[in-house]
Amino acid sequence: MWQQIRINKRNSLLLLMGMGTVLASLGFLIGAAIGGVEAGWIGILVASGIWLIMMLTSYFGGDQILLASSRAVAVTPDVHPQLFNIVEEMKIAAGLPKLPKIYIINDPAPNAFATGRNPENASVAVTAGLLARLNRDELQGVIAHEVSHIVHRDILFVTLAGVMLGTIVLISQLFLRGMFYSSLSGRRYSSRNSRDGGAQAILMLVAIVLAILAPIFAYLLYFALSRRREYLADAGAVRLTRYPEGLASALEKIAGTNINMESANKVTAPMYIANPFRGKKAAVNLYSTHPPIEERIRILRNMSHGAALADYEQSYESVTRKKGMIPGSALNDESVEIRAASADKRPVSESRQKREMGDLMRKVNGFSFLACPCGIKMKIPPNFPSGQIQCPRCSRVHTVDKGKIKTSA
Amino acid sequence: MDCAVCHNPMITLELDDVETDYCLSCRGIWLDEGELEQLLGDTQRALDLLGSFTAADNCTEELRRCPICGKKMEKVFVGPPAGQVLIDRCKKAHGLWFDRGELEAVLHLGRFDSEGKIPKLLGQFFKNPETKGNPAPS
Repeated sequence: MWQQIRINKRNSLLLLMGMGTVLASLGFLIGAAIGGVEAGWIGILVASGIWLIMMLTSYFGGDQILLASSRAVAVTPDVHPQLFNIVEEMKIAAGLPKLPKIYIINDPAPNAFATGRNPENASVAVTAGLLARLNRDELQGVIAHEVSHIVHRDILFVTLAGVMLGTIVLISQLFLRGMFYSSLSGRRYSSRNSRDGGAQAILMLVAIVLAILAPIFAYLLYFALSRRREYLADAGAVRLTRYPEGLASALEKIAGTNINMESANKVTAPMYIANPFRGKKAAVNLYSTHPPIEERIRILRNMSHGAALADYEQSYESVTRKKGMIPGSALNDESVEIRAASADKRPVSESRQKREMGDLMRKVNGFSFLACPCGIKMKIPPNFPSGQIQCPRCSRVHTVDKGKIKTSA
Repeated sequence: MDCAVCHNPMITLELDDVETDYCLSCRGIWLDEGELEQLLGDTQRALDLLGSFTAADNCTEELRRCPICGKKMEKVFVGPPAGQVLIDRCKKAHGLWFDRGELEAVLHLGRFDSEGKIPKLLGQFFKNPETKGNPAPS
């Protein structure tokens, strides 16, 4: 396990260095293209400055940035007691030093992600759609997957790389647009200094090529690594829950819904347990953030002997026919037996799921719930102006208790 | 969600697995997409009623905005030509708006009075439509 974490930490560092190098050379070339070699050094300086600022911000506030941009709301246990119960359980199983902060995203598409700096400062976010659709075993599988990301230190990597990638894309875009507009205003640069005009033209060309390539290169690096991390987190989740079927059927349910997440974007996509953008069936290639979900399910369902990392590795090799990806030392783990399914197998109708999801979103948004003795249930928004409400069915007057359900955010 | 007519916050009512949004001050009712179908069930009469929606093009009644997307809704007639009811429908299919009494009238058109679920939830709203002393939101 430790070797695996070390490899992840090293990869994080390598990726960050790689990203830094890309950013610096981009800065140099852009500078050189605009004002010659001396300006190239200034370009490096500026790029490094930006890199440093972005890194510090993302290290100390990246999780908050990502959570806010995903519109996640921190919640208290009374909003969803079972979720807290499962996170607590997985925290103990994984030996986390502290309970991760729990967020709910108001989105009907089922999905989840983890973010943070280290196991002491971690957060888990799940969508309302996920909570409405999954039973306890499945939810446990998903939470275990996210907790594995925390244990493997994937969260810092993804947070840093996400912010870094955003920066590279931003600079290239700025440069490309700048080029577009300056080329409209005439050939000012080459005519002013005819002596090194040829060299500058070449530099300019390289800068353009790089500005186009850098984002692609960055995406490739980022995505290729995040795919392997998904398999590792699946393996970790099985080990924590001792129940591969839970995660498998959760992934199946997630794959079975064709709702795009409104609150996700290109940069936050790799954080989620399953790619938040479906709709079009994209071929699996270097560019996809997640391994094909069907393959992940097949690997999980193929595990029949035990729930240890070595069992996952074996199943991975037989399903994908590729060499395994779990580091050697982690495989000498104790053997873990697969447990039986838990009793919670509630078969619920789709309309009921939809209503439960609506209720959950209302709880997150601070609605109060009133049950009138006549049998009607009233759900009152937090901006309801009056403190009293009359039941439209039986005319009883109720007092609206606005402090009853509150979110901590 | 705010009322399409008086813009006060609406409350949600739930009874026997049916959910509706209700404005306490003007007594208008909003049904999300699919909720009317859920209310009516899938009897032939319900399907006939649902199939009778016709656009009311030259209608002078003020256009309301959809409480979900904020876009202007269109006016549609429901029911047979003899006793049509004019309601508002979101063009993006977010749902239907019924002014006070309109849902009752629509249900009356289909004679659903005897079918349990609807009288239970809605019929009894309308039993005392003139309830006094309701704290009017200011």
